[in-house]
Amino acid sequence: MHVYIYDDYLNKSKYNKTINRIEIRLTDLGLNGKIIRLGGIKNIKGTIQNEIKLGAKTIVAVGNNQTINKIIGAVIDTDIYSDFQKKTILGIIPVGGDNSIAASFGIKNEEEACNILLARRVEKIDLGIVGQYYFLNQATIQSLGTILEIDDYSLEIIKRGEVSIINLLSDKNQSIKSNPHDGKLDIYIKTKRKDQTYLSAKKLLITNPNNKLLVDGVIEMATPIEVGISKDRVNVIVGKDRMFE
Amino acid sequence: MFNKDNQLEKFKDAETIIGASIKVKGNFQGQGSIIIEGSLEGSLKTDANLFIGDRAKVTANIESKDAIVNGEVRGNIKSKNYLAIGGTAKIFGDIQYGEISVAKGAIINGQLMMLSEEHKRNDKLKPEEKAVATDK
Repeated sequence: MHVYIYDDYLNKSKYNKTINRIEIRLTDLGLNGKIIRLGGIKNIKGTIQNEIKLGAKTIVAVGNNQTINKIIGAVIDTDIYSDFQKKTILGIIPVGGDNSIAASFGIKNEEEACNILLARRVEKIDLGIVGQYYFLNQATIQSLGTILEIDDYSLEIIKRGEVSIINLLSDKNQSIKSNPHDGKLDIYIKTKRKDQTYLSAKKLLITNPNNKLLVDGVIEMATPIEVGISKDRVNVIVGKDRMFE
Repeated sequence: MFNKDNQLEKFKDAETIIGASIKVKGNFQGQGSIIIEGSLEGSLKTDANLFIGDRAKVTANIESKDAIVNGEVRGNIKSKNYLAIGGTAKIFGDIQYGEISVAKGAIINGQLMMLSEEHKRNDKLKPEEKAVATDK
């Protein structure tokens, strides 16, 4: 059974036409299922967990990056997670902006998302961990004065720029490859043009007394903080144009 | 073996690149090819290839398969296969190599020693094979 989780911002009237179009398309494809609108729900975690208990085969995030994070946040490190990982697959229908995670999975728009749900191409995806928070895409911090401690060595960055700790690449134009199921984080440091640093690690400690770490473009975290990776945590339906192999 | 045409080909897909704005301290170890353009203090080891750029400053003992050195190295270098020393290189330390080429202008202050065939062969063996070879 498919369960569609509509994020609360989709209650706005400007999304009515898009939602209608999605629902018609899903019906045409025979993918219609239960719809849950987060707008009227206080206990989001409990609601999502309950659907998994009831045997949802596919949970579809209809919304943006935050919708996906809400669903993952509702199940990860809970009693229901084992069932979620074994029996449930995460699908995504992007609506509106802030949809870099869907783009990483090769899902460009809502119509294509419906076709991708039908094709049901599933990949096991790692999750990055920073503090108590799990992330799919990446964490970033200003490079000047940042120190990264990895295994037996440390890296100090002495120029202005940005450090990206990448699990799932969200920008196809970045000149690096990142694999979200290799059990490693890709560290990409860009300061001046042509001055780029690239390496990978399973975990690292980030320290920068003057700047905070920005996780998935939303959550700010003070340093020093450890960033790690947890392998194959979520089964996701992806498109063939995804940004990884 | 490197030659002028293909020596940089091996680094197209380098797994690790340390840019010019980076200072590395500690024991840096990699499985794949490494490019160093910044500075490094400690030790540097890879099972694959190593490229040290002309602006790089490395204060470390180095171990690799093939290596191209164009920058400054203060420490011993062991290149099990082929070592290419560029004209901008400044090396202050002893060098062990399988094969070597040195460009005009390079500064070397240390001993050069070619690795024996047996040494090169042993380095290619897996640990358990090494034990057997030693027993013999």
